[in-house]
Amino acid sequence: MVLHDSAMSTGSNSGSSSSSSSKPRLPPQQQDIDGLLPGAGYKVRSSELRKVAQQLERLETATVNSLADSSQLSSDATHSYYNPSDITSWVDSLLSEFAQPPTCPSEFIMDPVTNKTAIKNAWTSNEHHMPQVHQNISYEQQSLNHQLTVVTAMEEDSGIMLVHMLMTCAECVQRGDLSLATSLIDDMQGLLTRVNTVCGIGKVAGHFIDALSRRIFQGIGGVFINGGSGYENEILYHHFYEACPYLKFAHFTANQAILEALDGHDCVHVVDFNLMHGLQWPALIQALALRPGGPPVLRLTGIGPPSPDGRDSLREIGFRLAELARSVNVHFAFRGVAASRLEDFKPWMLQVNPKEAVAVNSIMQLHRLLGSDSTGNSTIETFLSWIRSLNPKIMTVVEQEANHNQPGFLDRFTEALHYYSTMFDSLEACTVQTEKALAEIYIQREITNVVSCEGSARVERHEPLAKWRARLSGAGLRPLHLGSSAFKQASMLLTLFSAEGYSVEENEGCLTLGWHSHPLIAASAWHALPDAAGDVPGV
Amino acid sequence: MAGSNEVNLNECKMVVPLNTWVLISNFKLAYNLLRRPDGTFNRHLAEFLDRKVLANANPVDGVFSFDVIIDRGTNLLSRIYRPATAEEPQPNIFELAKPVTAEVVPVIIFFHGGSFAHSSANSAIYDTLCRRLVVICKAVVVSVNYRRAPENRYPCAYDDGWTALKWVNSRSWLQSQKDSKVHIYLAGDSSGGNIVHHVAARAIESGINVLGNILLNPMFGGQERTESEKHLDGKYFVTLQDRDWYWRAFLPEGADRDHPACNPFGPNGRSLEGIKFPKSLVVVAGLDLIQDWQLAYVEGLKKAGQEVKLLYLEQATIGFYLLPNNNHFHTVMGEISIFVSSNR
Repeated sequence: MVLHDSAMSTGSNSGSSSSSSSKPRLPPQQQDIDGLLPGAGYKVRSSELRKVAQQLERLETATVNSLADSSQLSSDATHSYYNPSDITSWVDSLLSEFAQPPTCPSEFIMDPVTNKTAIKNAWTSNEHHMPQVHQNISYEQQSLNHQLTVVTAMEEDSGIMLVHMLMTCAECVQRGDLSLATSLIDDMQGLLTRVNTVCGIGKVAGHFIDALSRRIFQGIGGVFINGGSGYENEILYHHFYEACPYLKFAHFTANQAILEALDGHDCVHVVDFNLMHGLQWPALIQALALRPGGPPVLRLTGIGPPSPDGRDSLREIGFRLAELARSVNVHFAFRGVAASRLEDFKPWMLQVNPKEAVAVNSIMQLHRLLGSDSTGNSTIETFLSWIRSLNPKIMTVVEQEANHNQPGFLDRFTEALHYYSTMFDSLEACTVQTEKALAEIYIQREITNVVSCEGSARVERHEPLAKWRARLSGAGLRPLHLGSSAFKQASMLLTLFSAEGYSVEENEGCLTLGWHSHPLIAASAWHALPDAAGDVPGV
Repeated sequence: MAGSNEVNLNECKMVVPLNTWVLISNFKLAYNLLRRPDGTFNRHLAEFLDRKVLANANPVDGVFSFDVIIDRGTNLLSRIYRPATAEEPQPNIFELAKPVTAEVVPVIIFFHGGSFAHSSANSAIYDTLCRRLVVICKAVVVSVNYRRAPENRYPCAYDDGWTALKWVNSRSWLQSQKDSKVHIYLAGDSSGGNIVHHVAARAIESGINVLGNILLNPMFGGQERTESEKHLDGKYFVTLQDRDWYWRAFLPEGADRDHPACNPFGPNGRSLEGIKFPKSLVVVAGLDLIQDWQLAYVEGLKKAGQEVKLLYLEQATIGFYLLPNNNHFHTVMGEISIFVSSNR
């Protein structure tokens, strides 16, 4: 086994960095990272050092006082979802293991080779092992939380081994050592048979192994095979919408901001960069209908891919929205624009009326523009500058809160593993099986794109909020704080989900939705300052 | 013991800066998870948690690094750190092993710590430390990725150290211009310090000249329980229980802590009297529970007539040299720099 392993630090390490480009300037909220710990591979905010220290102490005391042995903390379910460089989250996750005592009856897994049950370190229902810290969580709730995290020693090792091998394989791929990568794929597929692939690390690992396989065997030059028609994509999207709160959060938050920004305007024009089934708009139409002083005249321009089978799905959706608008007495006009790539959409297609207040809505679309075009020009900059030229009263931007656009493959892979592990973990809370299964396929397509594609085929180029802030400011847009009603609305949305674990956080006027304080989706709002005649949007 | 834990946690927080406390406590916590009571080690989790960094042939803060395979049979890798020169600010791939140009260039063979079981040459904490050594000592540093316990017990780590020493000694590009010889120093912390001693001992009468040994909080022990072990057990991040675990993991099965690997000047040790042994710089932290063994080591060298300088840092804990935020760090770096330059 190669001794130099592949879990690479992705933090800003002043001692050595793997790329030769200059160190990125730290965004404002990261500038308070302790200056010395990155040299040791850890990122902790100076302002949080004291809190982390307290958490470490609590963990020490809990470990000493509790009679549960540390194998419980060594299980892969605890460690795989958190980047160990982030001590804060890592310690929090370990501590949460103690708040949820293992109450499920012991699960034994038969070792297929020896036919012996692995009982070493298995959790038992023996009360003797419960830690002192107890909540009033009902047995049902506990078992719901834990039916998926009970592991035996064998699984614990297999799970963590899988993660380790995934990283090693990704490092081989980055290095070009495809023969070693291939044999690792074989080993991992063998390991998968010993790991529970219905939930936890086994499930997400399977998708990553597939994606790596694809990359190795099909190469990155191939066109990304979307795997299905536009119609299929819409189905998957719809199930993803139902199975977890991320898209609902995006729509609710954007609508709230749009509503506030368009207050007082009588003619409004909303541009949606990805109409899909128009799921976002009924709520806005109804809210506008109920506006004090009466609804505005509403125009909606919805962009979507052309329908190959002769249907004009955009128009159909437009019809349905028009029906709804009519039923609530809102003057409504719809225009569908078919474009297979967002950058094909040109300003002149919009026909904006100068009297209209424009709202631009982008739900997880902007990142697709981050690959540069064939002439090497920056597509995103061009696109953002024409948005700016529309003088929008508001632009709502929702993006995945992840760094999946790093040039180094291993860094990207590592980030994606953490991000999608977390997202899959949150999906476990969904109880409707068909929705969950299709939502997982939806997510799996993202994973495949991030891992196995390059160049123009790689469209899932997620970047974190901090980077979007810089880009949007650079294009001449200014942030609009999402108000407290947006925050309240988002929190209320979460209470509709019985699953504990989702969290909404406010981050300098933007909102993020995450799982166990791990943000996964970030929503922000922007506007163009009205410029004097002849002004060029600032850089 | 559970009852006295609160006092312990408070005491060690008072002697180290907060970020050091967080760093070392984090290690302590992680390491507790990795050692299993039956003597096995959760290697996969260990590798997952260990923060590692890539080598970087592009100079960062004046130092560049690259990895070499020293011995294919044992997969022995080392990471080499070199100062970037003004004339060659950007070395290319063919020039990584370009001959050193100065009259005298100290070559420090470094053995990372980790109680024989943890860490690697590409662990972030050791990569950072080696880079600092390059700058402070104007040296080339060769960090050896020796085989670890419990999978590889004594004498694997020493064998790997010896292999590395022979390899370094035979690199013509590491020879100083002055005498066409490689000016070799051995350095290491914790288990690495222990390895330094044993590799130097192996080198005796081999013809390979080691100019000096640097032992930072070296890991030694013995069967007896010393005063420092009893007084400081559990007080400053380290417990006797974990020390015992690591010795059981490294030493041959059935051996006790008076085995010469653990206790070189103990009942089974070998006297170095009359033997040409390198001069030594031994750094002992005053809050390290094994200091009595480290001090005994220094005495052992002195009794054998060997040249040794002891740097006893009263208020230092283990790991003080990982972050440059305390006086001990700067004192020690200064002493090491003098130690490797006094032969110029």
